[in-house]
Amino acid sequence: MSTLNLFSASLRLCVSALKPCCYLMLLFLAAQLSAQQLHFAAFDIFVDSKNVPLAAYQLEFSGPADHVRITGIEGGQHEAFKTPPFYDPKAIQQERVILAAFNEAPATKLPTGKTRVATIHLQFTGPQRPDFSLKLHTAADSEGKSISTKATFTQRGLYE
Amino acid sequence: MKTRYYAFIALTAILTSCARQSQNTTARLGEPSPGYGDPEYVGALEEGRHERARASHFMTLSRPFPRLSRTEELWVITRVGSGGQTADDYPTSGCIRTRVNGREVPLPLKHTDVKASISAYIASVQVRQEFHNPFSEKIEAVYTFPLPENAAVNEFIMTIGERHIRGIIREREEAEEIYREAKHQGYTASLLTQERPNIFTQSVANIEPGREIDINITYFHTLAFVDGWHEFVFPMVVGPRFNPPYSHDGVGAVGRGRTGGSGQPAEVQYLRPGERSGHDIAVHVDVDAAVKIEEFNCVTHKIRHEAPEAERLSVWLAKENVIPNKDFVLRYRVAGNRLKPGLLTHRDERGGFFSLVVYPPRQQQELRRQPLELIFVLDCSGSMSGQPLKQAKAAIEWSLKHMEARDTFQIINFSESASKMGRAPIPATPANVRRGLDYLKSLESEGGTMMIEGIKAALDFPHDPGRLRFVCFLTDGYIGNETEIFSAIDERLDSSRLFSFGVGTSVNRYLLEGMARIGRGAVAYVDLKDDAERIMESFFTRISHPALTDVQVDWGDVDVTDIFPRTIPDLFVGRPVIITGRYNGNPRGAIRVTGRAAGETIESRLSANWKATHPALASIWARQQISDLEERTIRNDTPRLHTQIKQLALDYNLMSAYTSFIAVDSTRRTAGRRGTTVPVAVPVPEGVRYETTVDKD
Repeated sequence: MSTLNLFSASLRLCVSALKPCCYLMLLFLAAQLSAQQLHFAAFDIFVDSKNVPLAAYQLEFSGPADHVRITGIEGGQHEAFKTPPFYDPKAIQQERVILAAFNEAPATKLPTGKTRVATIHLQFTGPQRPDFSLKLHTAADSEGKSISTKATFTQRGLYE
Repeated sequence: MKTRYYAFIALTAILTSCARQSQNTTARLGEPSPGYGDPEYVGALEEGRHERARASHFMTLSRPFPRLSRTEELWVITRVGSGGQTADDYPTSGCIRTRVNGREVPLPLKHTDVKASISAYIASVQVRQEFHNPFSEKIEAVYTFPLPENAAVNEFIMTIGERHIRGIIREREEAEEIYREAKHQGYTASLLTQERPNIFTQSVANIEPGREIDINITYFHTLAFVDGWHEFVFPMVVGPRFNPPYSHDGVGAVGRGRTGGSGQPAEVQYLRPGERSGHDIAVHVDVDAAVKIEEFNCVTHKIRHEAPEAERLSVWLAKENVIPNKDFVLRYRVAGNRLKPGLLTHRDERGGFFSLVVYPPRQQQELRRQPLELIFVLDCSGSMSGQPLKQAKAAIEWSLKHMEARDTFQIINFSESASKMGRAPIPATPANVRRGLDYLKSLESEGGTMMIEGIKAALDFPHDPGRLRFVCFLTDGYIGNETEIFSAIDERLDSSRLFSFGVGTSVNRYLLEGMARIGRGAVAYVDLKDDAERIMESFFTRISHPALTDVQVDWGDVDVTDIFPRTIPDLFVGRPVIITGRYNGNPRGAIRVTGRAAGETIESRLSANWKATHPALASIWARQQISDLEERTIRNDTPRLHTQIKQLALDYNLMSAYTSFIAVDSTRRTAGRRGTTVPVAVPVPEGVRYETTVDKD
């Protein structure tokens, strides 16, 4: 009986000693799986040209190349920028999206104020959304003059 | 307590991953349904319960399957073995059907719209494929379709309602991986892959019931220009390919619903006789020839046209001709029989690009040919049965009757194996010609297309060094082992010249062009409605004068690099060659072309105007370089060449064997948790019999 008790006590001791190790292993595995998880997300790109009609822009959107893969570029909300902008194929190989678009329509048919000029669709890995950056290279009005604008982006279709 | 909670989360994550892997490996879970042969099906459960599929191709699961997580999708892929059961309809129920001749075939491709704009000798073509979902559950549509073999495909846009998403060019494996993941997670996605330079597969995942998704593809290519006629071709259907038993990278041909039946990585499903899907096609071509268009024709289709100016022409496919089952071929001849402008340039941040038409010098026409040794090789496989064989025989018959007595000839035919009229070429005496005609009459079509046997028989034949050997290969080119054929021609050609003749309504132009290029000859096409005699007559005119060989271009003061094709092909009378390259600086001055014909050196001068431009030249140049690299892989297939092709395609945003376009709409997951893959079955080309090509058993 005492041998059995001794065996049972040893077993309990072993189990309680192994428990944290098991938990740690499980946590490690969970972290690994989470890191491998693939998420899809869409980022709306806005350009605010205030009261000046926006005729052209060039901007750069980028994220960490080892976590992000660009999967599509959508056109903007205004008719003038509805066609998906062209991207630089060399930059996209580093998951940098250099977008450029222009419209030769008269100023009355161009957007003013804050307008969505594109949506970038992408896939990223890991439990958290990586940091992205947006840089506006240039923007111009219908006369081809450089204008002061502000570019921003927000995430749409947040992953679950 | 907190630790236990973390452990629980970890376990859940692991189980989710296991469930995902179980699905991705698409394990064979199904038991064959009684009375349905031995089908192999893949399926899973929804909501953690067993589900008995309703249609014949759905299965009863033999063991439990884990409950799907919220992020998982269920995809049912039918797979039927060689002797398996065909699936008459795809998803379970509720589909909108097309009823034609009593046969109902619901398919997800509704319409193809083609808009081509031709300027000088370059065509810019936009193809819109309109997919829809006529079923009651979401689907993945898979469509294998043809494009011209020299198409530089550089734009891909997925349209969902009013939204347009530009596809991104990526390495093929990476694009496929993204597509699979997007499909599993329920996002609408599309993927374009290249099976051959002239065969592509379009996949569109998660099309919800009643929804429509359009795919827009843009490409550029140079037009063929023969005997003063421009030729614009839009292929509409992939003909059923024969793959030798040892081939594992071919393009399979199976009946509708027999997914996987060919055992080849790429596969085309064909509608059975009497079946018709709702898929139709519209074609509109605008030509701006820059010089007066003297005449035009379209022997393949009924068309309507408008000619607002002498240099312009607009052509539409007539409404009664909308079944996409044969190549659309528009030919037009311009004043002066010369392309204008013959030199085009383009300059952007990548540098200068040009394209030049090199014409055979006029002096070449004054030279007479040597005695010939003509070897006619006739494809007598099952796909040639009926009208194609009749056309091919008519072409050979005309040739035999028009040979000179000092020429020699021989006839070889092949299907499963090759056989020939005699052991060596015989003089074209009237008696021998009669023998040849009798032999020709006795040939019938049957069996597979072991083209390699025909190539070996033709090129390994004893050769008379006193004569020029021309091998005339008449075939529809319906094979899946093109590379093997190119390689065999390259190894055996020696001093022979190979002329390929594509016979049929929807021939394999990639094979035929490649055979002629590697065989240092030329290609011609004989549509079933063409006058075969006229085509052979122009071939005889071509070979009645010696070819200009060792062609060199002296660019004068212009700094020119990276010219493709790397070696300028021999120039035959009536067949100019288009070359593309890069240039630096501000070019000007004349260009000098030299070559040798009948032992003489011939020279011609071109007064080059470097001012005419075309924006597609960078893409066309890159596509030409890809073709050149692909051809080099035939001689020496190295990973370095693959990397070069891939990098070039990525840099120039082009489709290739190693790059694909991917587009994902990540703004929302589609509704519904199960989906079915529906291949788009296509008609066999006009003049081709289903029984002798697809369903040979």
